[in-house]
Parts: sequence; C-alpha cells; structure tokens
Amino acid sequence: MAHLGIGLFSLACVYPFLFVVVLSFTDEQSLAKNGYKIIPEQWSVDAYTYLFKTGDQLLRSYGVTLFITVVGTLLTLVIVSLYAYAISRSYFHFRGFFSFIAFFTMLFGGGLVPSYIVVTQVLHLKDTMWALILPMCVSAFSILIMRTFFKTMVPDAIIESGKIDGAGEFRVFLYLVLPISLPGLATIGLFAALGYWNDWFNALLYIDDARLLPLQSLLMKVETNIQFILQNAGVGGAVDRTDMVRTLPAETTRMAMVVLATVPIIFAYPFFQRYFVQGLTIGAVKE
Amino acid sequence: MRKSVLLVLTFIMLASIALAGCSSGSKDTKSSEGTKDSGTTDTQVTPEKKEDPVTLLWYTIGGPQKDQDKVLTEVNKYLQEKINVKLDMKVIDWGDYSQKMQVIAASGEPFDIAFTSSWAFNYVEGARKGYFLELDELLNQSGQGIKEVLNPAFLEGSKVNGHNYAIPTNKELPAQAVWRFNKNLVDKYKLDITQATTLESLAPMLKAVKEGEPDVYPIPSNIGMFLPFDFALEGIPVGVPMNTTDFKMVNIWESAEAKEVFKTMREYYQAGYLPPDVATKQGNDFEKTGKWLVDKQHTVPFADIQWTDSMKYPIVSTPMHEPLVFNWSVTGSMQAISSKTKYPKQAMEFLNLLNTDKHLRNLINNGIEGVHYKRLTEDTYEPIPDSGYSMPSFTLGNMFLLDKLKADPADKWEQYKKFNDSAKNAPLLGFQFDPTNVMTEIANVKNAVDEFGPSFNTGSVDPEKMLPKAIEKLKAQGIDKIIAEAQKQLDAWRASK
Repeated sequence: MAHLGIGLFSLACVYPFLFVVVLSFTDEQSLAKNGYKIIPEQWSVDAYTYLFKTGDQLLRSYGVTLFITVVGTLLTLVIVSLYAYAISRSYFHFRGFFSFIAFFTMLFGGGLVPSYIVVTQVLHLKDTMWALILPMCVSAFSILIMRTFFKTMVPDAIIESGKIDGAGEFRVFLYLVLPISLPGLATIGLFAALGYWNDWFNALLYIDDARLLPLQSLLMKVETNIQFILQNAGVGGAVDRTDMVRTLPAETTRMAMVVLATVPIIFAYPFFQRYFVQGLTIGAVKE
Repeated sequence: MRKSVLLVLTFIMLASIALAGCSSGSKDTKSSEGTKDSGTTDTQVTPEKKEDPVTLLWYTIGGPQKDQDKVLTEVNKYLQEKINVKLDMKVIDWGDYSQKMQVIAASGEPFDIAFTSSWAFNYVEGARKGYFLELDELLNQSGQGIKEVLNPAFLEGSKVNGHNYAIPTNKELPAQAVWRFNKNLVDKYKLDITQATTLESLAPMLKAVKEGEPDVYPIPSNIGMFLPFDFALEGIPVGVPMNTTDFKMVNIWESAEAKEVFKTMREYYQAGYLPPDVATKQGNDFEKTGKWLVDKQHTVPFADIQWTDSMKYPIVSTPMHEPLVFNWSVTGSMQAISSKTKYPKQAMEFLNLLNTDKHLRNLINNGIEGVHYKRLTEDTYEPIPDSGYSMPSFTLGNMFLLDKLKADPADKWEQYKKFNDSAKNAPLLGFQFDPTNVMTEIANVKNAVDEFGPSFNTGSVDPEKMLPKAIEKLKAQGIDKIIAEAQKQLDAWRASK
C-alpha cells in the first residue's frame, strides 16, 4: 500500500518532465492542431536537429554554464570552508566579529541598484565571466552550516594531535580537517552547483554579450520574450508583431531546449546524494 | 540548542529575502531621484570637438544579431566620414529590455542613446525621473532634419510637461482597430464583411460559421474589445469618451458601452463562438491551424498583405473606427538621449542622420548588400534567410526611408503618409497622467481589473451578476480616488493650454 502511494507520488513528480520530453519529440504541426498530447499523433526529431544545426548559441551557453558551475563551485568551496574553519576555532580571537559580518549580510542586502553599481562601476565586471561567478561565490548560509559542521563533527582532539606532531594551521586544515568534512563540503557544494547552474538573473543584469550567456538565461530570454510579445500584441502597430515573432523559436524547439538544459544537472543529484542527507542533519542532535 | 539556533537563522534568512525584495524597490526610486539632480547640470557640459571620433553607446530593443559587429564596422566607416562619430550598439532582448534599462538608468551607468516607448522602458516615466535629456533646443540646433521629416503630431504628442525627451520614429501615427477575418471561411460562407462595424453586427456571421463548422471557434481568443474611450492610464478603466466635450473622467466599466459589450460577449460565449477556456488561454496557435473566423487587431496600410504573407492563407479586414492618434500610438517607438551623456550634440547629429539618411538607415536595418540581402531594384530588396542580421525595423528610426520588399506596393510610404494625415486626435493626446499620488490605488485597481477583466472581455461570466460586484471591488480599491486625481490633472492641463 505504502509502495503504491509512493509510486503514485513519484509518478506525479516525473510526469510533467516526461511530458516535456514527449512534447520536444512532437511534430510542430500536430502540436498546433491537437494541442499538448502525451501520445502525439506524429513523432519527430525536428526540434533537436534544428537546435544542433542552428544552435551554436545553445552549445556556447552550455560551455559557459559548465564553466561557471565548475569554477564557481570550487571557488565557493575554498572560500566558504576557509572562512568557516577560521570562525569555528575557539582560539581565533575575532571569530565573533567575522561571524557577525557574514551573518549581517543575511539580514540586510544592498538592494538591486546598489549591487549593480558596485559590480559594474566599482569592480568593472560587466560583460565578463566573473560577473556570473563572484556575486554568488560567498554564501553566508553555507558559511554558517560549515561552521556548525566543523564545530560539531571535527573533534578538537584530532586538531591537537596534528599540532603535537608539528603541523601548522594550514596543514591541519588540509590533511586532517578537510578529509573528514566531505559530507559538509558535498552539501554546500551541491547548493552552490545548483545555484550556479540555475542562475539567470546575474546574466540578465550584467551580460550583454551573447557569447557569455549561460544556459538558463538563454531559456529565460526565450520565455520572457514570448510572454512579452503576446502581452504586447499590436503595441507598435499590428504588423510589427510579425517582426517580433519571427525571431522566436517554435514551441517544440523550446521544449527541446528545456530538456537539454535540465538533463545534465539531474546527474549531479545521485553523485551528491550519498553525502547529502548526512550533511543536512549536521547539528540536529547534540551530545 | 544548536538546532533551534539554526532554525531561527533559517527564519531570519527567509525574512531577509522578503525584506530585501522590498528594500530594493524603494532604493530604486531613491537613487533615481539622485540622478535627476545631477542630470540637469550635465547638459551644460560642452562636448569635445572633432579630431578623435566619439563613440556613442546605443541601447535598443530586439533580438541580438550574430553579424552585428560586421554591420557595425560598415556603419562606423560611414559615420566617421559623415559626422565623425562611432557607434557601439547593444541590442537587448524584448523581454529583458525594460528591466535592464531601468537598472542601468537608475544606477547612473553611462549610455548615450536608448530606445524608449509606451510599452518597453516606459518613456513618460523615464522622462519624469530625469533619465533623458530635454531635447527642445538640441532639436533646433542639430535636429532640423528630424523636424522636417516627422509629422508634427509626433513631436507635439510626445511632450512631457511641455518638453520633448525623445525622438519618435516616423511610422504610422494613429491607431486603428480592425476586424480581421480569415478569408477562406468568409468566402466559403459568402459573408459580407463590410457589414462588420460593431460587435453586435458580427452575430449572423458567427452563427453561419459555427453552424457550418462545429469544431471551429469563430472568435479564437480574448480580443479585448475596442471601447470608444481614451484611457488615462493603460490597464485602468479610467478615461474620457472619444467624443467628449466636457472632458469628464469616468469609470469605464460603469459606462453603457462597456455593459453592452460585456453582455454581447456573454451571448457569444454561451452560443459557443469562443473556446471555453478563452479567458486564460494564451498564444496564437489558431493562426497556424486556420480554425478561426475573426479577431481584433490594430492595422497599418497594407496590413492585410503582411498578415496573409505571414499566415500563408488570405486575410481581410474592416475598420472598427476612424484612425485616431493616442498618446501610446505616438510614443510607440522612440530614441532618447541620456541625461548623463557627454556628447549630446553628437548623439543628436547621429539621430538626425539616422532619420534622414537613406543609406545609413537601410544599412542599420538590413545589413550589408550581398551578405544579408540581395538588391532587386533601386529601392527594393530581398533578405537572405538566416544570414545573421535582421533588425525589427519599427524600433530604430524613420521607416519611410526604408527599401521595400518585393511584395510591398510601390506607394507603400505614400499610403502611410496619407494614413497619418487622415488621423484625428484622441481627446487626451498630449496629456500625460502622473500616477505618483495614487500609486497604491493604481496597483490595487490593476489587480482587480486583471481578476475580472479577461472574464468579462470573453463573456466567460455573466455580467448581470458579476459586473456590479466587480465595480464594487474597483471602488473598494480606490478607483474613485484615481478618477478624482486624473480629473484634477486633466483640468490643470486644459487650463494651461
């Protein structure tokens, strides 16, 4: 009985995505004629052939997304774990101060326009890859998770043993603390990777150059463009709308884009899952 | 203990996300006020003269083009020769444009020229916030060509507080709603579409088609019926009747005309002339399948030909009213100069050239001959498909300079001029409602309109029962306050004329 319930539930979760996959393999004409059908009248791979033929933008965006996800996640892990380790040590004098600095950013953000000014006019990151990486690479939430992790899961005795053997802070951190902190790192790594993979807003703000567009931002553009054109039908005279629509991909092509954009990140889940539950329950039980 | 700390932290974080959302909004307006002050002083900056060409940064709307750099190189060669200016053109997607430009303008990031309109990166709002340079004098100095080619109604109708802040695109000036018919069905059932003037007059045609083709919904979408009112603000049913003499703002949903339209729509909906889910339906799939008879569109000269061309089956149309010049039709596509620009003179010279120079205008629009299009005769061309360059022509500048497509009639632009000259002014032309004092009410009323509007416009609910409720809700959300405010501003505007 329970199996049936869970089975139905997972089906409900998988179904929408399955539907998108089916739609992406539907013939454009029969889609227009019959609407969305789970078993289409006419199968077709036109959408994919079209995408791979004309879609050098899509492949580029794939590259950009992969790059920022990998580099961004690594950078996040390095910065967050170093920061968190420092403020987790009870003998670090300014730990209260630095904890507060990180914590403060969770309470008060700068707001959209000030952030924009900092990124574009102080740091001059506009239209660079860094604009997609740096704004997201320190997460206060992850720092606090890691700090708790280091405090609870890494026994002081281990660190002391390293010190007795003559290891400095860095050596202790690299060779003793990090290897036993994998679950914590995997957790915040997954958060970070998902964040980078799914981020489109930074690209919307900071990227004008199509060569630097990440994948999700590309999808978002297609979607908002369609919404916009439908809502503003006939704004500048009716004929102009055909001008606008001309630049849009067909419905099945959009579905194919969704499939191509989602599939890779699905594979990230099982990879991280091993550590995930363990990581999330850190600090749930106290001794 | 630790668990509770984490829990508390999580809640705080969630709250902060919500708060951050609010705070960014308010900061937005604050910093934009800042730019207003500095904006006015910037006009006195004297531009550097000649020698090195200045580079103008130009933001405009459309799909980014693959071959843009190639075309820009050509454009720059030409521009350097003519007015010693170089161009850096950034094309931003339709859906992103408004948001992106709001942030760029509010943060004071430098740009020189930007596309603005009534429907993307709102022109009136931008002018009020001080993003744009006031152009009255510049127009006289370096924009004489523009003044000559533009129908004067464009510059007159796009004034904000009596000043021009952007150069309107020379295109169709008025708006004219038409009934657009699928000619295949019109011919099959021998319908006389010249009879179609009002919504009521469609009844026999709808009936004939529905009886003959039970699986066709003759009205395929939410057509948003034309009401004979000039709206003070888009999306809010407040305005004056088209034939007004006393200029009294009314609640349009309370008008007899609106009631009549909602009632007729209801009858049509119940007769099965509209799809059952029409109120929430989006998209234009019906255009592909051809299973429709009639909808409402705005027309321009030779629109039927273009519709026929894009749909691959014949389309005909009949007008619902005479061509009327509205605020939103005048400000449908414009180019503004940033109040922060260092080169106001060069920017105006460029816009002047763009609106008067045939070679430049066509180069920016169609790309390079032989690469992006083939020349057919002296003033006709044929685009090369998937060539990597194709701009939306109505967003850039004077359309009357453009070369024509093969299918276009030879007197295309003359007909446009005739169309423009035939237009009458809507009563509120030149009056720009300033919503600052009633922002909250407008947001609330808009929500209520979004809730009820589609249902009434498609006849999905019974107006007899629901309309009184809807009007009551509009009142509760403060529509009367908006009407009073609009009336006050309108009276002041009329007194000043």
